[in-house]
Amino acid sequence: MRVVLEDVAISRGGFRLRASGSFGEGVHLVTGPVGSGKSTLALALAGGLSPSSGRITCEGIRSRMLVLPFPGYHVTGRSLDEEVASWGLSPEPVLAAAGFAGRGGEDPLRCSLGELKRLVLSCALARETDLLILDEPYSSLDCGWKAELSRRLGERRNGITILLTHEDEQLPKVDEIWEIRDGGLAGLGRVPEAIRLWSRPPRYIRAALEQGKVPANVTPGDARDAVCGTRG
Amino acid sequence: MITIRGVAHRILAIPDLLIPEGRVAVIGPNGGGKTTLLRLLAGIDLPVAGEILIDGLPPRLREVGWVGGEPDRDMVFHRVSDEIAAPLRFRQDPSPLVDKRVEAVAAEIGIGDLLGRVTGELSTGEKVKVALGTALASGPAILVLDETDSSLDGESAGALREIIGRASCFHVVFATQRMDLAARSDSVLYLEGGRVVHSGSPAAVFAALSGTPFQPPAGWSR
Repeated sequence: MRVVLEDVAISRGGFRLRASGSFGEGVHLVTGPVGSGKSTLALALAGGLSPSSGRITCEGIRSRMLVLPFPGYHVTGRSLDEEVASWGLSPEPVLAAAGFAGRGGEDPLRCSLGELKRLVLSCALARETDLLILDEPYSSLDCGWKAELSRRLGERRNGITILLTHEDEQLPKVDEIWEIRDGGLAGLGRVPEAIRLWSRPPRYIRAALEQGKVPANVTPGDARDAVCGTRG
Repeated sequence: MITIRGVAHRILAIPDLLIPEGRVAVIGPNGGGKTTLLRLLAGIDLPVAGEILIDGLPPRLREVGWVGGEPDRDMVFHRVSDEIAAPLRFRQDPSPLVDKRVEAVAAEIGIGDLLGRVTGELSTGEKVKVALGTALASGPAILVLDETDSSLDGESAGALREIIGRASCFHVVFATQRMDLAARSDSVLYLEGGRVVHSGSPAAVFAALSGTPFQPPAGWSR
């Protein structure tokens, strides 16, 4: 199972992004500052935007899903129960896991932005999707749920997960790192080797690197372990 | 001074609260009442019960600037200059004055080069800056920001912090999930379950929240 980008150029408005590479099974982290083209890439990977040149091929992928940064765009149900059911899921367990136990009758659009984000992510993760593309999944989540999302992403063992984010306080364990630089996608390779090649790592990773320590992975815990010398 | 007395609205219940002038961070879990409080402070909603006064007047009698967490939703007009001019035109300021003010605000925020652009084609970071310019154009007594930083990277959030710091506005109330920003504010409110559980200086509130995820990142310093 993999997504292959061959000399792809994607244009949107006056913006242009070049990308080549292959995304295999595992968790891929794609970073880059606001406005660098992460959402454009996410949309193209999801099939919502055709490349102006080059080719994107999905091999052995039966299902793919894009989770948008603003959860309001996903809502179709009039109640939380209906909303979860619209994802083809059974409402009760999903609502409980998302922290909405007993609130199935509420209107999703009366929820706060962060609550809605929690709901949409819980639905997306509850489905078995071969290619899951998450565009800024951490935005709007509170500090506690950011950590919880990292934990749940770490539990996703099958399929391809592509996480596009500029988050700099919380990341999950990942397999490969990619970075958008100067209008192009650069594959930095597998962790931990890729961490050294990262031009704009989150500040907790940067702090470890500045002390000459390379964390085993990219979570805040990995950075802490590297600095405190409890591992490696 | 912002005075809140006997306010009950949706999940929010605040018997008595004084918020001093300055930059006030509102923190807490999703669904805790942050947006509800901010909408009341901005005068977007009126409380079912109780009273909110900003320097002695209800929010709807004060000039208010508001920026939400979804910059796409804040844009109304096609051109950036029209977007920033909108609050001034709605209150029927004379045209030459509007043009001058738009230029001044754009210069203050550093978006002079965006004035001729189309709002829909801006990047997220640019949209937030334009929304801030629009909110500040009318010289508000209070600037209310509802997790405006949630769609920004560390660098853009830093730029946002600087703009807020420079804004000539007595009250800046902002909800945030970035505890480093909250730690740099003048005071912090921690809301959970619709109640103000902790309020005071950042040091005092974060001390009360020790052991929770609501802590400035390790190694953080003022």
